[in-house]
Amino acid sequence: MQDRTVSYEKLTPGYEFPPAKYELSVSLVSKYLKAVDSSGDEFVPPLAITACAITAMAGSLSLPPGTIAIHASQELEFFKLLPIGATIECHARVARKINRGKMSMLILELEVFDQNKEKVQSGKATLALPG
Amino acid sequence: MLTNIQEGNALNPVVKHITQEKIDLYAEASGDFNPIHVDESFAAKTPFGGTIAHGMLNLAYVSEMMALAFGQSWLSEGKLSARFKQSARPGDTVTINGKIDSIEQKNGVSYATCSFECRNQKGEIIVTGEAAVRLPTDKK
Repeated sequence: MQDRTVSYEKLTPGYEFPPAKYELSVSLVSKYLKAVDSSGDEFVPPLAITACAITAMAGSLSLPPGTIAIHASQELEFFKLLPIGATIECHARVARKINRGKMSMLILELEVFDQNKEKVQSGKATLALPG
Repeated sequence: MLTNIQEGNALNPVVKHITQEKIDLYAEASGDFNPIHVDESFAAKTPFGGTIAHGMLNLAYVSEMMALAFGQSWLSEGKLSARFKQSARPGDTVTINGKIDSIEQKNGVSYATCSFECRNQKGEIIVTGEAAVRLPTDKK
């Protein structure tokens, strides 16, 4: 299988991670609802969609050995609800990369579209990588 | 749903108990198996000294509070900005509180801006932020 990961050192502003598709299946949503200790209805919780988008990006990122990425901040905007069973496509790009001494910050822009290419949500995640 | 939507009003708080089982379930559901969340021996050697909950798990609780207050309007058109100040750990009980800071009209539509914070049982802030939501036309 082709390795689609990119090393942290090679990330530059504007870099686009490979888009990732997810099916928001009954089992995925029920597992999510159990994890967040919540009840659901016929719609997918928007934060479950965000979690998929962040994971898609993180799965494509290779960090230096021993480095941990800490979620420092998150902005989100929701545009539409999706029914369980919908398919989403997650896009992420590097907005900024900041090095402050031993601390690095990675600012990523996220966009999620449904199967009709309509925007479902967008956001910005800041990850801190303590050196 | 919140029945009295007015500036200064508090949202109904959400209280959750964090367990390693929930963190593991969240990792499975989200696919985020960062060892800081799920590998206790790895996490013990980090400055955290043990596993921590995903920041997005705490944010899910914030979203639950907003959904309880504003219903589908939040789920389909909400907007939030959150800063993760500290980590929640297994064994913590976190409480999410929020209040309506302002209600503004834009093009004939009312929007509520709320502040929120998530604190652990010691009163330490885990997450703070703001959320905005369109209000149903028959409210306000």
